[in-house]
Amino acid sequence: MFSRRNFIRIGAASLGTLALRRFAEIPALAQTGSGYRALVCVFLYGGNDSNNTIVPMDDASYKAYQAARGSLGIPASALTQVQSAAGAPYGFFSPLAEVAGMFSSKELAVVANVGSLVQPLTRAQYQAALAPIPNNLFSHADQQQQWQTSIAQGNSPTGWGGRVADYVKAQGLNSSQFPTFLSVAGNTLEGAGAKTQMLAISPGGSLELAGFTSSAASQARWNALTNLLTLNSGVSLAQAANSTMSMSIDDAQALAGALGKAAPLKTQFPATTLGQQLQQVAQIIQVQSILGMSRQVFFCSVGSFDTHTGELPTLNTLYPELSQALAAFYSATQELGMAQNVTTFTESDFNRTFQPTSGDGSDHAWGGHHLVLGGAVQGGRIYGSFPTFELGGPDDTDVRGRWIPTTSIDQYGATLCSWFGIPDSAMNSIFPNLANFSTRKLGFLG
Amino acid sequence: MKRLPVFFVISAAFLAPSINAQTAAVMTDRAAARFLDQAAWGPTAASIAELQQMGIAGWLSAQFALNTSDLPDQPLVASSGQANRNLAPVQAAFFQNAVTGQDQLRQRVAFALSEMWVVSAVSTKDAYAFPPYWRLFRDNAFGNYRDIMKALTLSPAMGNYLNMANNNKGNAAQGTAANENYARELMQLFTIGLTQLNSDGSAVVDSSGNPAPTYDQSVVTNTARALTGWTYPTAPHATAKNNNPAYYFGQMFAVEAEHDTTSKSIIGGATVPAGQTAGQDLDSVLDALMAQKTMAPFVSRQLIQHLVTSHPSPAYIQRVSGVFLDNGSGVRGDMKAVITAILTDPEARAGDDSSAAPNPNFGHLREPVLFLANILRGLNATLGASSAIYNNAANLGQELFYPPTVFSYFSPLYTLENGDPAPEFQIYSAQTATNRADVVNTILYGALDKSTAINLTPFEQSDVSSMVNYISYVFLHHAMSSDLQQAAIGAAAAATGTKAQAQAALYAVLTSSEYQIAQ
Repeated sequence: MFSRRNFIRIGAASLGTLALRRFAEIPALAQTGSGYRALVCVFLYGGNDSNNTIVPMDDASYKAYQAARGSLGIPASALTQVQSAAGAPYGFFSPLAEVAGMFSSKELAVVANVGSLVQPLTRAQYQAALAPIPNNLFSHADQQQQWQTSIAQGNSPTGWGGRVADYVKAQGLNSSQFPTFLSVAGNTLEGAGAKTQMLAISPGGSLELAGFTSSAASQARWNALTNLLTLNSGVSLAQAANSTMSMSIDDAQALAGALGKAAPLKTQFPATTLGQQLQQVAQIIQVQSILGMSRQVFFCSVGSFDTHTGELPTLNTLYPELSQALAAFYSATQELGMAQNVTTFTESDFNRTFQPTSGDGSDHAWGGHHLVLGGAVQGGRIYGSFPTFELGGPDDTDVRGRWIPTTSIDQYGATLCSWFGIPDSAMNSIFPNLANFSTRKLGFLG
Repeated sequence: MKRLPVFFVISAAFLAPSINAQTAAVMTDRAAARFLDQAAWGPTAASIAELQQMGIAGWLSAQFALNTSDLPDQPLVASSGQANRNLAPVQAAFFQNAVTGQDQLRQRVAFALSEMWVVSAVSTKDAYAFPPYWRLFRDNAFGNYRDIMKALTLSPAMGNYLNMANNNKGNAAQGTAANENYARELMQLFTIGLTQLNSDGSAVVDSSGNPAPTYDQSVVTNTARALTGWTYPTAPHATAKNNNPAYYFGQMFAVEAEHDTTSKSIIGGATVPAGQTAGQDLDSVLDALMAQKTMAPFVSRQLIQHLVTSHPSPAYIQRVSGVFLDNGSGVRGDMKAVITAILTDPEARAGDDSSAAPNPNFGHLREPVLFLANILRGLNATLGASSAIYNNAANLGQELFYPPTVFSYFSPLYTLENGDPAPEFQIYSAQTATNRADVVNTILYGALDKSTAINLTPFEQSDVSSMVNYISYVFLHHAMSSDLQQAAIGAAAAATGTKAQAQAALYAVLTSSEYQIAQ
């Protein structure tokens, strides 16, 4: 399971030639950007209240919104109005100014009321448990897992991004062994494959080990470290640790070597957590041909969306971070001439209760609205449908406005993966519940 | 893995007590060091000797009585006049306590509890909130779990972090409902979890094999209503209000006007009758949770994982759960009994005999704080009040008092790709693996902050194989594999001078998976 690549014994090689195997496998400049595809996930940890990301502004919807949202209702003056391609008025919460702008310039689309589902589900079916219901609804950990695995019932050891990486590896779509799935936000189940391991790096961090020189003593110490990684003591946790360290050493120089060849990006990224993560992603996309990559999946995240109290002030901080980082990233892909080759999308634990809590916040809910951004996106449109804003209404699980999703994660992911180059014949193995839904592609990527 | 026989070629100055200990009843160095890896922040030559002298029972009873470590209270306001958010002195004191404090077991248990009952400075930002919050774990570590539940529930830091403070009853006119945050996490993370468990930790399943949930959304909603009506302690010279502003000394108090007095149907089908006070409702909720047998394996498994092994056998969990349910005198939740059961269990102690085959699924990855404390203790470190070693822990994914979410730094449910539980691996990535090796480099080769110093003198021995054997004694329970010994000797032999040799051998050992995984 953990011998993704056998670590090569380094012997007496000088440090300068260590881990060069990967470069040897890369045909010089064999890859061009033209066939390249990257998916970039931005996970909003904690459960974004997407009821306040975008609001339908037709009279009936907005009145219903104001009536039920109470202290969380955003006045029209704080909503940046846009018009969908179908001519309907919507408003983005004004701290999402750049997002609203990209919607208007048709680079960004919204997919409404997406969430974890086994199969289509009605309120009556949910309340009487007449159809399969995802496990442990409204729990952070479980709903994160369901977004990341696209498996609504039972534990999945692999994420859907990891299964995509497995497919890429099986098809030999990348010309190097550099990992297809790369996280700049720590380990994530989304990137766990059955046959592939994800790589997690810190933005701006290096994987190259400190403290080694070309001296004989240093070389002996290096040999001790690396030789030990090749041994199997039979202890499963030790093997797992060895595998991770080997991967780090394997990929360190390839990454540093490639990044060292890149000209600095002209695009300025905000000095925020997400800004720095997306800058790192842009820099790796910039050197995809040097790394030998034609298909990559990236994972970023930003936290603190668990707004049980004081929600609007929190969103006033988080939304500008999200909006500005997405805009900078899109600009960077334009600068690289790769805007058509990169699609960015959001995920989040869940949406939040439409009804507020007593502390001007909201509790854990279910279906929510998501953003998809990129040159290939048919933007300026709303895909899927908004719920009826009625507590205890047709889309509510109970009486607090926890929307039953009308679009599944499987459909959302399959639409992204279809553009990424996964054939429909392989889609059911990546999204096992996709077969339960009649629409397999939502249309936001053609 | 080949294990080397236990040698006694080590400098007698560091081992005198163990060499004098010749009766069969005395623990071996290996057994004592292993025990101290589980029950303390790691063994030292002195603590090994002490344990050998006292025996496990004597050591445990001495440790149960010790309560020597504190974290310094912090000012509410910084010199800038702004709210004080600087936790550095608290983080530094934490490491000082870990490296040199006497109440080692209390600290380990308190830390484990703090990783279950999470409050994070990510959103509860006032530095002064944390020493009082930490003392709740310290002072209740060897008490009863029911007391821990109540103390943490009424902690103003927790009240802030999970919004039980100022959680007013629902208001129809304003269209609000009681905040569900604390009610949900109290059940999901702190006491019983999402799935009903058998006493061996396995899931209770229904006739179709689906795990049986412990509660549904209506129980969360009802429990949230039962827990309404609490506010922060009133600050000195302030006037009490129904919704006090945040203040972190003392306990939250009840405001009956904001408490929902209707009846509620809560966990296990229990009913909280109408008309009770906030305090009575709280006790009803905690009693109903305490009555759930699922709590015993839920809490026991996590404590085992933090102290001993990521992957306890069902039988091990069952034995500890049994003690949690009944300490032998009919008391449920007796932490002394539970901790004793965890540390003296045959599965925990099986590896004490170096001739026994190692259990390939045993042990856990040393989490960053434990990893650093263990290394510093082994290297005879001295930490001044401004030691910044906590920055190194942060760099490895564990910034003290700043877990990223209420799910702490890592989840007890995290598994390797083969399905084996391995919580600490959630924060072990290519990046943090590299950073671990780099912090070992920093510690050994001398670029630590000015307030943190190590002493390598005991390791500076002219005979390289004796030196490596001493490393084995300090860091690997005197049972370093022959492979690792060879690697360490190879690294040392190429270096010049006893200090450089010790550094090279220590680098090879402390970066190895054999050390990183405490077996």
